[in-house]
Amino acid sequence: MAGFVIAALIGLLAYFLPLFQSASTPIVTSGGGLINPVAGPTQPFTVLLLGSDNDTKFAPDQYNTQSMIVVRVDPGAKQATMMSIPRDLWVPLGGQLGMGKISTAYHNGGPQAAINAVETNFHINIDDYVWIGLAGLVKVIDKLGGVNLVITNPVLDDFYPDDLSTDSGPYSYYRVGLLPGPVHLDGVHALQYVRSRHGDLRGDFARSERQQELLLAMKAQAKHLNVADFPDIASALNGEIKTSISLDRARALFGVLDQYDSSHIKRIVLGPPYTSEGWAGDQSVVFPDWSQIQPVVSQNFP
Amino acid sequence: MKVLTYAVLLLAMCAFGFGVYKAAGLLRSDTTHVQKPTSTYAESLPGTMYLAQGGAIYKFHGGTFTQITDDAGWTQPSASPDGTRLVAVQRHLNYSDVYLLDANGRVQQQLTHLQSSTVEANHWALQPRFSADGSDVFIAYDFKDAGGTYKVDLSILAMRADGTGSGQLWTAPNQYTGGDTDPVPLHDGGLIYTKYSITDQGAVHSQIWLTTSAGATGVALTQPEEDCGQPALTSDERSIVMICRHGQLQSTELVMASFNATGGSIGAEAVLVQGQLAASPAFSPDGRTIAFLAPVQEGGSFQLWTVPASSTSSPPTAHPITQSVGFDASAPPVWDGK
Repeated sequence: MAGFVIAALIGLLAYFLPLFQSASTPIVTSGGGLINPVAGPTQPFTVLLLGSDNDTKFAPDQYNTQSMIVVRVDPGAKQATMMSIPRDLWVPLGGQLGMGKISTAYHNGGPQAAINAVETNFHINIDDYVWIGLAGLVKVIDKLGGVNLVITNPVLDDFYPDDLSTDSGPYSYYRVGLLPGPVHLDGVHALQYVRSRHGDLRGDFARSERQQELLLAMKAQAKHLNVADFPDIASALNGEIKTSISLDRARALFGVLDQYDSSHIKRIVLGPPYTSEGWAGDQSVVFPDWSQIQPVVSQNFP
Repeated sequence: MKVLTYAVLLLAMCAFGFGVYKAAGLLRSDTTHVQKPTSTYAESLPGTMYLAQGGAIYKFHGGTFTQITDDAGWTQPSASPDGTRLVAVQRHLNYSDVYLLDANGRVQQQLTHLQSSTVEANHWALQPRFSADGSDVFIAYDFKDAGGTYKVDLSILAMRADGTGSGQLWTAPNQYTGGDTDPVPLHDGGLIYTKYSITDQGAVHSQIWLTTSAGATGVALTQPEEDCGQPALTSDERSIVMICRHGQLQSTELVMASFNATGGSIGAEAVLVQGQLAASPAFSPDGRTIAFLAPVQEGGSFQLWTVPASSTSSPPTAHPITQSVGFDASAPPVWDGK
């Protein structure tokens, strides 16, 4: 009898092995005390979500963050807020770096520099971060079984980067044509939706809105996951994601997020009048109007 | 004998452990499984319907699906007024073309030739619809700026259904919005379609527009805040159904109203389906039922549904015809009377 119990345990261990492997390998990077501990999912917590183009154009871990979204979850009030920070926001980056686009902070100093740039400029305390690359996002969405969302207007882009493909060079491109309306998108098409910006009047701000929409869609899709799905996801994401959040804590946070209806999630995109486009030297940048931004930040990220 | 017993027990334990491993895998949520329509049966609906899934077009008749094209990027079929011909889109990586097919999916003629060796010189031809007399095909088509800018907006274009002559431009899209989509030609020669706009504050809106002739300014039939699109008409053009999202991003409403093409207006709107992700509606040939596509459960793939086309005060009950097929939500069902 004991032999069969041991055999069953070995079978279970083998099934969940990818989960244990991912927990013990450095997909979890705590940064040596960088990240502030959080008491638990009953307390409000703030997570900085970072997304990068991590194709072969860039040296490993020398990426800019094309997407920076601050998410604050208040389990007590059952409210959450997402705020997208424009990638070209022109801010002091701290130390010797001087002024620069906030998207370059990660390139210069990894997640700690990105967190510092957000904390010092926005006066927001960041508890945790999650970084994901292009292939990682595609894999997550595919493992979720795709996502359902409403495309608000046609997304047409003649110069969409073909940097996920290994067949063509990292500077090649192809055309994207996503029609409006409710759709079910796989990982590649969802990435096109949140990454394309050329054909839209709102440029990067449209992309920020679509990225928030995708997060909501992924949250809805994650409701269907159960513990038996985790090994598959962990296996797919091994090396594609970096976070300060341990696996146990991630599961606890998922549990908290699962209780939220998307209508209780406030969405903020720092387009005009919070920011204005302009030039700093030869760089096209986005200038912050802190007198407009700070009241919003104080109210939503106390 | 003892050794043999131990060996059998060991084998049994190994088999049991392997069974537990496989059983754990069976507990995974079934989020990705989508069946081909031909491997399912569904409730029979009157007439014949054409739907798209996974790059192929299927005929649905008498509760049975029949695949009528290869799995080769086919989508958005539309039937001629007499039901003998189809037009459909074949999508490729950088371009798409519109083809004339017979009712069994055999290619009769390629109507557009939009492939180019230069990526940005390719074009999209999408959402083809026959004119009321079957002589023309209206499509959503992306014109390009000569300067090669990033602007790619769809316009509604009409071309001859026999592939002769050059196309006639019907609409002028708002720039950098993605443009105009969903052409629905009218009996009197007019057109309704969906037009997109972006406000100075960055809000995206869609409206149903009516235009009486090519290049005419036209008139909006819905308000910007309703965010309506994907219109469809009854065969007598007295009723319109559309998808409206009212600023929402994870649910839509299926809305029906009376339609007056001559007066350029629609009547009081009735919400037939809400709280779902309803898409791509189409009326039955007799106008009494509406087919649409929506997930059966949150996050699921898009299934075929029907709902009575009744605008009484209490919303009618919609019910799914399929459960696990996963149709192309951007390809409205084509419901033919035959």
